[in-house]
Amino acid sequence: MAFVMQISLAQEKTVSGTVTSISDGLPLPGVNVIVKGTTRGVQTDFDGNYSINVSVGETLSFSFVSMSKKEIVVGASNIINVALEEDVAALDEVIVVAYGTQTAKSLVGSVTSLSAETIEKQQVTTVTSAIQGTVAGVNVITSGGQPGENPTIRIRGIGSINASAGPLIVLDGVPFNGNINSISGDQIESMNVLKDASSTALYGSRAANGVILITTKKGALNSKPTLQLTAVTGFSEPAVDLHKTIGTNDFMRYSWEAERNNQLYVGNLTPAAAAAAASQNLIPTLGYNPYGTLAQPVDANGNLLPGANLLWETDWKDAILRKAALRSEYSLSLSGGGTNTRYFLSANYLNQEGSVKESDFERITTRLNLESSINEWLTVGLNSSLSNSKQNFPEQSGNTYQSSIQWIYSMSSVYPLYRRNTNGGLILDDFGNTIYDYGSTPEQAQNGTRPLFGNENAAGSLYNYETLNNRTAVTANGFANIDFTDDLSFRSTVSYENYLFDGYEYNAYNIGSASSVGGRVSQDRDITTTLNFTNAFNYDKTFGDHAINATGIFETYQFKIDAMGAQGTGFLPGVGVLNGSTTPEEVSGYINEERLTSYLGRLGYNFKEKYYVEGSFRRDGSSRFAKESRWGNFYSVGGTWIASSESFLENSTWLDFLKFRVSYGELGNNKTLNDDNDDVYFPYLQLFETGWNELGNTGVLLGGVTDPNLSWETSALFNVGMDFTLFNNTIEGSVEYYNKESVDLIYQKPLPISTGNDGITTNVGSISNKGVEVALLGRIIKGNNISWSAGLNFAFTTNEITELTQESFIKGTKRWEVGRSLYDFYIREWAGVDPVDGYGMWYKDVLDTDGEPTGERETTKSYADAERYYQGSSLPDVTGGFNTDLKVGNFDFNMLFNFSLGSQIYDSSYAGLMDGFSNPGYQASPDISRRWQQPGDVTDIPLLLNSQNDFNGTSTRFLFDNDYLRMRAITLGYTLPSNATKSLFIEKVRIYLRGDNLLTWSSHKGLDPEQNVAGTTDSRSSIMKTVSFGLNVKF
Amino acid sequence: MKKITKIGFLLCASVLTFSGCSDNFLDEPVPTEAVAESVVFGSRIGVEAFISGIQRRARAQFERTDAGGVNSLYFARTIKGNDLIHANSWWSFDYANDNREPTYTRTIFSWEFPYYVINQTNTLINGIEVSGLSEIDKVELSAQGKALRAFYYFQLAQEFQLTYAKDPDAVAPPIYTELSLTGNPMSTLREMYKLIVDDLTFAVENLGTDRLGKSYVNVDVANGLLARVYLVMENWSGAEVAARNAYGGDVNASLAPSAYKDGFSDISNPEWIWGLPQTADQSNYYYNAPSAFVDPINPAYNNIYVNKFFSDTFTETDVRNTFRQNPSGVTDFRQIQSTKFVFAFDSDIVLMRTPEMILMEAEAKFRQGDEPGARTLLYALQLNRDTAAVASNNGGSALEEEILLERRKEMYGEFGVEWFDARRLQRGITRTANHRIVLTLEPNDKRFYLKVPQKEIDANDNIDDSVNANR
Repeated sequence: MAFVMQISLAQEKTVSGTVTSISDGLPLPGVNVIVKGTTRGVQTDFDGNYSINVSVGETLSFSFVSMSKKEIVVGASNIINVALEEDVAALDEVIVVAYGTQTAKSLVGSVTSLSAETIEKQQVTTVTSAIQGTVAGVNVITSGGQPGENPTIRIRGIGSINASAGPLIVLDGVPFNGNINSISGDQIESMNVLKDASSTALYGSRAANGVILITTKKGALNSKPTLQLTAVTGFSEPAVDLHKTIGTNDFMRYSWEAERNNQLYVGNLTPAAAAAAASQNLIPTLGYNPYGTLAQPVDANGNLLPGANLLWETDWKDAILRKAALRSEYSLSLSGGGTNTRYFLSANYLNQEGSVKESDFERITTRLNLESSINEWLTVGLNSSLSNSKQNFPEQSGNTYQSSIQWIYSMSSVYPLYRRNTNGGLILDDFGNTIYDYGSTPEQAQNGTRPLFGNENAAGSLYNYETLNNRTAVTANGFANIDFTDDLSFRSTVSYENYLFDGYEYNAYNIGSASSVGGRVSQDRDITTTLNFTNAFNYDKTFGDHAINATGIFETYQFKIDAMGAQGTGFLPGVGVLNGSTTPEEVSGYINEERLTSYLGRLGYNFKEKYYVEGSFRRDGSSRFAKESRWGNFYSVGGTWIASSESFLENSTWLDFLKFRVSYGELGNNKTLNDDNDDVYFPYLQLFETGWNELGNTGVLLGGVTDPNLSWETSALFNVGMDFTLFNNTIEGSVEYYNKESVDLIYQKPLPISTGNDGITTNVGSISNKGVEVALLGRIIKGNNISWSAGLNFAFTTNEITELTQESFIKGTKRWEVGRSLYDFYIREWAGVDPVDGYGMWYKDVLDTDGEPTGERETTKSYADAERYYQGSSLPDVTGGFNTDLKVGNFDFNMLFNFSLGSQIYDSSYAGLMDGFSNPGYQASPDISRRWQQPGDVTDIPLLLNSQNDFNGTSTRFLFDNDYLRMRAITLGYTLPSNATKSLFIEKVRIYLRGDNLLTWSSHKGLDPEQNVAGTTDSRSSIMKTVSFGLNVKF
Repeated sequence: MKKITKIGFLLCASVLTFSGCSDNFLDEPVPTEAVAESVVFGSRIGVEAFISGIQRRARAQFERTDAGGVNSLYFARTIKGNDLIHANSWWSFDYANDNREPTYTRTIFSWEFPYYVINQTNTLINGIEVSGLSEIDKVELSAQGKALRAFYYFQLAQEFQLTYAKDPDAVAPPIYTELSLTGNPMSTLREMYKLIVDDLTFAVENLGTDRLGKSYVNVDVANGLLARVYLVMENWSGAEVAARNAYGGDVNASLAPSAYKDGFSDISNPEWIWGLPQTADQSNYYYNAPSAFVDPINPAYNNIYVNKFFSDTFTETDVRNTFRQNPSGVTDFRQIQSTKFVFAFDSDIVLMRTPEMILMEAEAKFRQGDEPGARTLLYALQLNRDTAAVASNNGGSALEEEILLERRKEMYGEFGVEWFDARRLQRGITRTANHRIVLTLEPNDKRFYLKVPQKEIDANDNIDDSVNANR
């Protein structure tokens, strides 16, 4: 073992020069200038200058991120000026991989890297959103328009069921457990998506569904301090229009018709009696009369009486949604470095309003990354961040009463925003102000009690209730690196993350759901801490044409969530803290811990940088499983062949680079979840739940039945890929095929509910995901003054169940059986409307004498008798994106689109609007104008019927194609001429106009095409489209 | 350089030491939100905690506002009848008597909820059996478990088949007496009622009057349940004895007429034998049927009215006359309101009262031919409720009708008495014309029971779609 201090040889001299960029002629700071084959090296300073001691005959190697490496043999001259070309293929670009870095060329695995530049092209509140449309084979779904919520990410299909199917997120080398929205986009250097076994195997038991590595920015050594200021301000509105709804007069006529039909066809009254009854029942059933005192505003012919004038007609959408939401973001960063130390300091402030009134997200996040070489063999560093966010989060999905979108789609305009007296006049408080109508004034017979959502008003509750999420996250990630020799080094990393979630909810003291108890405050404080300790030995050695690298790591991971909650009622006006509570309602608290111990290693070998092989192994022990089944082994092997380095291709005029790679590995997943997608930390233990107290007596209940032998689910991944660059770097691309087989799935197997359990979490069955991914980039014009490039990526994915322990499972709108996808809809098939009586019909099988289906189908009017059939899938056949970048002089322009084709969506919001008044008072779609009205009418919309029916029961009637194309980002920028700004000591000023999600083309209107993986709706608000103006100044 | 090598060794050593304890390291995390079986069955207190949990579950939110506990099960029965009228909002499909298809909420809830509790009681009974508790404790605690199990099987028997007297061999829901991971086949009413009677008989024989609170089962509750079961099975002598034992045999001592107008919200009411207590911190909030729906004053759903023809049967001097005219003056189906049940988050819920026992005893006497005995008991109750009451001297079917009407007048809104009687006596229900939905349930109408949930059929290998044929 030798600790090497290279001794200078004879003929040494000092060479100096300037390194510039070919494209713009500007000096390049921070370029690594290294004497090839030694560790001697310097970096260029801010003006691109360097100076180094070398000997004649030695080779100087100039390398810089995203530039081609250039090598020059030192000759007689003492000045060597170099112009570097932008390296589009960036083969020597250093890519962050699991527990280290590798050059792009040597990569065996499938890794897609997003640079800071790509991320900055989009205006994302949550950084992982930037993956959408930019990485082939990754399906990103943003559900809803509440800013600060995180998208669902699925890498290469869906490989898990009751375990998390989301990727592992690793921030600066450490698994991240905080909320991803605490990181701002401008702090990120790169975001790498690891898709195959070879690239993810070192994350072992958490890698089965892919890994996203986020690396934050660092300063450059030997560079002067650079201060950068960015300000962006814009306005947003929902990206997609809601379904249309009907007005009050139409609503009254239709409601009358529904009641008439009920009396006529269900109650079997005569037409005249039915019509009279309908006129008479209409107002009592609705409980409200928007025509004042007109007792029967709709006559026995179903017409509005002349002189029926509306006293009000509520536009709930207007009362609940914002027309323009403000978004502003400011960031400031300082970076630079001396000979031994480099730093990056950043602060970012964001304030974004959501589409629902009062909803917003405000975040401030800071980061300091510092790294210092103390001496020849020791380098230490710290990445730290502090962030705080506040999110005002009125309910805007789901089915609680105040849920905004549900309210707009449910509450008819017949019901007033403000309280009305029996005659329809406004009721004012003592100060002459209007009072929100909560539909629950039982003492008042008319205009007092609503038939739906009693004691609630979603518009009023935006102001009378409060739902706040306050998140504070601190991370500190320190490392020490020791170089024992040139070849052997040791790195120890300790990271600590502390994430405090404070959820606060206030319900008004005087109105709404908690008014009878004088208001309610509930508050939750969850402290999540993660301690990760990694110790790694690295060995790198080149012997002639052979090079090996080896890594051995021991790692422990400790996660702890310490939750506490309290709830109380009885508050004075204006008091909203628990101290003001009269009656405590609830206290709760628990601690959950999870631990992981791991041994891992990687061994790589290459010959002449032409043939690469690599193997990884990881052994994980997880506290989530019983002692007997907690250890799992995970591995991968892979190889790469740089075909273009072979002699028969080396001189090709059109082929610049060609690489083939193949990998196989087995990965695990231990992230067990319950039905609400919350982690289950002890899924193997049969326990009794506490908290079921009966007055003063402690109470416990038996929890769900468990499988004590529960263990890892495993994914076997095969990946083969090809990367190429053609025609002098004009075309670059890659094509990949993968097959991912997930076995022993962690799955909640349904049990008959008569057993008292509806399921048991066990290892059942397997799923296969296969796909092809293509990414292409064309550099169409590569001039100094004008450049134009365009990229396209897309992926085909298929999902198939390959093994189950029972014939089939039914899960909501899906049925799982071998040979089908997890996400194939299995629902009844709508057969239209019977022209005779206007009733809806579905299909069922014609049975032979043995009760077996003959293959033929017939219609039935009984929903219960109707057969369910497979009907399309919620998974798209192909997803992808395309983008283009154009630079002309000081102008820059880019666009990014993403698309998804071939999936179906079940629109239950629309189903609700097409209910046909079986529930009085509910809002409806104008499409019901095409309803069946009399025998002989041919239509696909059934009669209106104020009686329970299944016309809008789950069936293909509301299953729609969900193809879409979205313009995610469009930016036009202008950089002020540098000679104008230089005189002001400003290096660069860029102004830009940007649009996010401006256009969405979708096959089904009225609904944001991004809902969820399962293709079902949940009254979600739409994501936002934003137009903004930005300014970027660099000093 | 030596120093570095040393550091290297130190690091290696520390890493190896650390890894040596990795299994201990992984053993340390333990659940804090839940307790192990050994804690529950290790002591009488532990078992009582389990019983408390089961009792609490009886009123907890389960599926949704109209499907949240024993009280929801009961109120759905109430609203299917003629005495109360539904205006809008929750319970509309039960009111229409068509909430019975395999995918409907009532169907699923009325199946899943009892079975959920039955699994708990099976675990309780079997856990006690193998525990180290004293024989005295074992028998008494097990008796509570068996009474609860019988109670929930009795609900299933009523919800998923016509009455026992119609056909004891008719198909009934599956029976489980232990934890099972596979579905059992359908049983028969005869098998199910045998289990119910066996369990309740065991409970009556082994329980005393002491209990942890009025929501727990003691011998009076067990007797009351047995009397109800015998009434359905038409075991009149058995019903007579059980009912009398449940209230003690002294009519006036067991009644407290002045408490009737207290709002049916306080479990300490001396007439209450069994109930579900609530407090501000142990509330089912707006899931509180009947009060959240029937109470016309305190803001909640306030969507249930009283049939005028029913309220007209109460005299002005009857303490049970809690009716009022709708203050708005409307004269349609919303004309009459009842203030019997007062809603608040801490309103208790009634499950069983002494007057029901008295009336069961009276009916049992009548069925066995003892009309004078029946009349005496009936009049004693009537006089207690209305000091101006006059004995009727009815006999035969007039006396039967008088008893049944008295049951409705006494217990409307509580557990679906009208529906319960119409079913077991195979009488049917005819709604009067002032209803929002007018309908007639014929004797043994299919609408008196529910189909089997699709969820069950899908996961149970022993039950297929044919179970719902002709249901």
